[in-house]
Amino acid sequence: MANEKIKGKATENSNLKGTLASVFLLGFFLIFTWVSVYFLFLERL
Amino acid sequence: MHIHKYEKIWLIFGIGSLFIFLTIVGVSAFAKGNQPPSGLTTIDPEKVDQTPPFNKPGLVKTGDNEYQLNMVASAFSYTPAQVEIPKGAKVTINVTTKDVIHGFEVVGTNINMMVEPGYVNSFTKTFDKTGEYTILCNEYCGAGHHMMTARIKVVD
Repeated sequence: MANEKIKGKATENSNLKGTLASVFLLGFFLIFTWVSVYFLFLERL
Repeated sequence: MHIHKYEKIWLIFGIGSLFIFLTIVGVSAFAKGNQPPSGLTTIDPEKVDQTPPFNKPGLVKTGDNEYQLNMVASAFSYTPAQVEIPKGAKVTINVTTKDVIHGFEVVGTNINMMVEPGYVNSFTKTFDKTGEYTILCNEYCGAGHHMMTARIKVVD
């Protein structure tokens, strides 16, 4: 990690694909759970 | 400032979600008038038995297909313990307690209230399906808490 920083342009090329995937997995999981709870509420109205 | 392309994507996604959330809450509160319960209906918890409508708890017809169900919770029961409601009736449930904090949950519905001494809690629901509903206490109220139930029967 320290070496990459010294190289300077490391952030340009750093691979954030895994980070993107995990952020969206978490995001969609949160949306899915909230929407499910909302539909449960509607069904019980 | 340089921001990575992927970073931009999830920042837009996150901030966008925040704005969608705030819009939904705003429309719900200011355009549709969904407000938290006032908590302003109070009662002397020591005089529940003498205070109308709780001196005669039960189902009262208030209009065309509209009813009021007044219930008193106390350790460890509800009065009345069984209620018959005609199908399709719009019922406003008012509930209070004579002693400690109780719960008032009608299983399988959205009715789920905390019943605090000194306050009257209300919920309005239309019962469209016939069947039996269990009312149960979901606030620990003492040794008999798990026995504290009542029934609602929705009949044709």
